[in-house]
Amino acid sequence: MVKSPAMKQIDNKSIKLLFVFLPVLFFPGQAGATQVHGGIEGVVVHQMAHIVFILAMALLIYWLRQHELVIQAGWRRIQYASVFFILWNINAFFVHLIEEQVDILDIAQIGPWQLRLQTQPAFEWSAWFYYMIKLDHLLCVPAMIYLYLGLKNLIETPALELQSGKKEET
Amino acid sequence: VTVTNLPIWIVDVAGSAAMIVLSLMCLHLALKLKRVDQSNVIWTYLAWVCYALCLFAFSRGAGHILKQVMIMAGKVNIWEAIRPLSGSINTLSFIVVSSVTLFFHRTWIIYRDIQNDKLALKSLSDELFFLNRHLEHLVTERTKEVAVSERKYRRIFEASRDLILVAGKDGAILELNPEGYAMLRLKSMESLKDKNFRSFFSDEKDWERIEKLLEQDGFVTNMELELKRSDGSRLGSLVSGSFGGGLPGKEETIHFLVKDIEQRKLMEKQMAQADKLASIGQLSAGIAHEINNPLGVILGYTQLLIRNEKTETDRYNDLRTIEKHVKNCKSIVEDLLNFARSSKPEIKTTRINEAADDVLNFVLHHSKADGIDIVRNYDEKVPPMMLDEKKIRQVLVNLLMNAVHAVGKKGIIRLSTEYIKQDNSIAITVADTGYGIEKKNLARIFDPFFTTKPTGEGTGLGLSVSYGIVKSHGGEILVESEPGKGARFTVVLPVIST
Repeated sequence: MVKSPAMKQIDNKSIKLLFVFLPVLFFPGQAGATQVHGGIEGVVVHQMAHIVFILAMALLIYWLRQHELVIQAGWRRIQYASVFFILWNINAFFVHLIEEQVDILDIAQIGPWQLRLQTQPAFEWSAWFYYMIKLDHLLCVPAMIYLYLGLKNLIETPALELQSGKKEET
Repeated sequence: VTVTNLPIWIVDVAGSAAMIVLSLMCLHLALKLKRVDQSNVIWTYLAWVCYALCLFAFSRGAGHILKQVMIMAGKVNIWEAIRPLSGSINTLSFIVVSSVTLFFHRTWIIYRDIQNDKLALKSLSDELFFLNRHLEHLVTERTKEVAVSERKYRRIFEASRDLILVAGKDGAILELNPEGYAMLRLKSMESLKDKNFRSFFSDEKDWERIEKLLEQDGFVTNMELELKRSDGSRLGSLVSGSFGGGLPGKEETIHFLVKDIEQRKLMEKQMAQADKLASIGQLSAGIAHEINNPLGVILGYTQLLIRNEKTETDRYNDLRTIEKHVKNCKSIVEDLLNFARSSKPEIKTTRINEAADDVLNFVLHHSKADGIDIVRNYDEKVPPMMLDEKKIRQVLVNLLMNAVHAVGKKGIIRLSTEYIKQDNSIAITVADTGYGIEKKNLARIFDPFFTTKPTGEGTGLGLSVSYGIVKSHGGEILVESEPGKGARFTVVLPVIST
C-alpha cells in the first residue's frame, strides 16, 4: 500500500507521543492526573457562591430600577426581597468565616441548650457578633416573604405593563 | 462566655420550616403565573428562581432541622455525614439562582421585543381584519371620491375659457380642451394624433425658446407669442407651461395654458388710435382757429372789392377766383373744427331712420349710381333721439359717398339701422361690396387728410370729420374690411331720449 506524505507525517507524530506518555503509565503517582479536593476548599467555593449570589441580587436591583419596573408593586417587593437576600448572604458569609475560616472564636456545644464561646484576646466582640449573626433566618425569611408578596401582586396584575419599562435599545 | 442556645435553636428550626413553606408557596405562584402565559419568558425566569430557592430551602432547612434533631439525640456523627451534601446543594442552588438572575436583563429585553412585536402584529392584524371587512365599502368610497375629483378637474378643463393643452416632451398634442379647439380653429372631433403644438407657433424659434426655458427652469410664464391657427390666421397669445410630472413608467408631459390676448391687443390699438386722433384734433383745432379769422377778413375784403367792380372784367373774375378758394379754405377749416369737436352741437329730436333714408336718396340722386343695388333695412324699434341731426346727416353722407365711390359702377350698398336693447344704443351700418380697405391703411383712415383717392378728388377729411362728430355724440365708429370684398362701417350712438 502506498502512503501519502501526509499519512507518513501523522505516523511519525504518534510514535513521538507514545514515547512521551510511556513513563506515565508506569508511574501514575508522579503524573498528578487528578486534583484532590480536600480541606477548606468546599468552604471557599460556598463563600464564593455567596458572593456571586450578592452580585446577582445587586444586578437584579439595578436592572429592575433601570427598566423602571419598580413602579409596579410586585417588582418593587421583589426588589425588597433582593435587598434582604443580599443582607442574608453577607450575614451567612460572616458566619462561615467565623466558624470555619478564621481562628478568633472557639465555639463549643455544652449540653443541649448551651453554647460556650471562647474569644481570642482583642476579639471579644466576636462572641456577641457571632451570636447575632447566627439568627440569620431573621433575614432570609423576610426575603422569601417579600418574594411571595411580589409574585402574588404580579399574578393579580392583569399583565406586565410595557409602558412601565424604560424604552431602550436592545 | 457561655450563652443559651435556645433563641438560635428556635429561629433556626422555625426559620427553616418557614423557608420550606414559603419557597413552596413562591414556586406555586411562579408556576401559576407561567400557566397563565406559557410563552412569557419573564415568568419562566421567575419559575427558575423559585425552583432554585425551593431546592435551597429544602436542602438548608431540612438540613438544619435534621442537625438540631441529631445534636439533641446525641448523633452528631450522622449530621457530620450529611453536612457536606447539604452544603453542596446549598452552593449549587446559589449558583443556579445567580446564573438565572444574570440573564434577567437580556430576558427582559427579549420579553419587551416579543411584546412590541406582538402589539405590532395585533395592530396589523386588526387593520387587515378591518380592511378585509370594509374593503368593498372603502373601494366604493374611494372610487366615488376619485370620480368627484376627476369630474371637478374635467369640468375646469372643459369649461376653461383659455386653451389648456397637454403635450409630450416633443410637443405632440395629447389632450386639448374644447376652447383650445376653438382657439386653434380645429374641428371639434378632429384627431390630435398627428398634431404637434410646435407647428402652431408662427415663429418656429418660439418653441425652441420654450423648450430651453422648460429645461432650464421647469416652467415658462406669460410668454407673449403669436400662434398660427389651422386656417392660417394669427392669434396673439400669452403662453404658460410647466412639466406635468409624468406617472411612473409614463413619458413626462408638458401642461400648457394659453390665453387669447387678441382682444386686448385690439383694444390697445384702438386706444392708441384714439389718442393719436385726439392729439391731431387738438392740433387741428388750434390751427383752424388761427386761420379762420384771417380767412374771414380776406373773404370780406374780396367781397367788398367784388361789389365795386364791374362784371365781365378780368379784375372781377380774379376776385371771384379768390373768393372761391377762400370759401374752400373756410370749408376745410370748418371740417377741421368739426373733427376737433370744437363747434357746439345743435341738439334736437331726430328720427334716425328718416334721416338715413333722406341722406341715401340725396346721395343716390347726386351720384351716378345706376348699377348699384341699394338694400335698406331699417329697424322700426329705433326710437327718436336727441342728436345734432345736421351733423349726423353729414356723417351718413360721408359714409355713403365713400361707399358709392368704393363700389364704382356695379355692386351693392346696404344701409341698415338697429336698436340694441341691452346697450340702449343704435347702430347704423353702411356696408358695400367695393374694393375694401387694405390692412395697412385701416389704422390711418380716420387721420385728417389721409385719402387713397387721386389728388383733387378728396380732401381726406370725410372720415376724420365723421369720427369727430360721432365721438362728440358719445358714440363710436367701427370699421371692418377685407380687401377685395368690401367694407362695413358701423356708427354706434347711445340713445338719449327726448
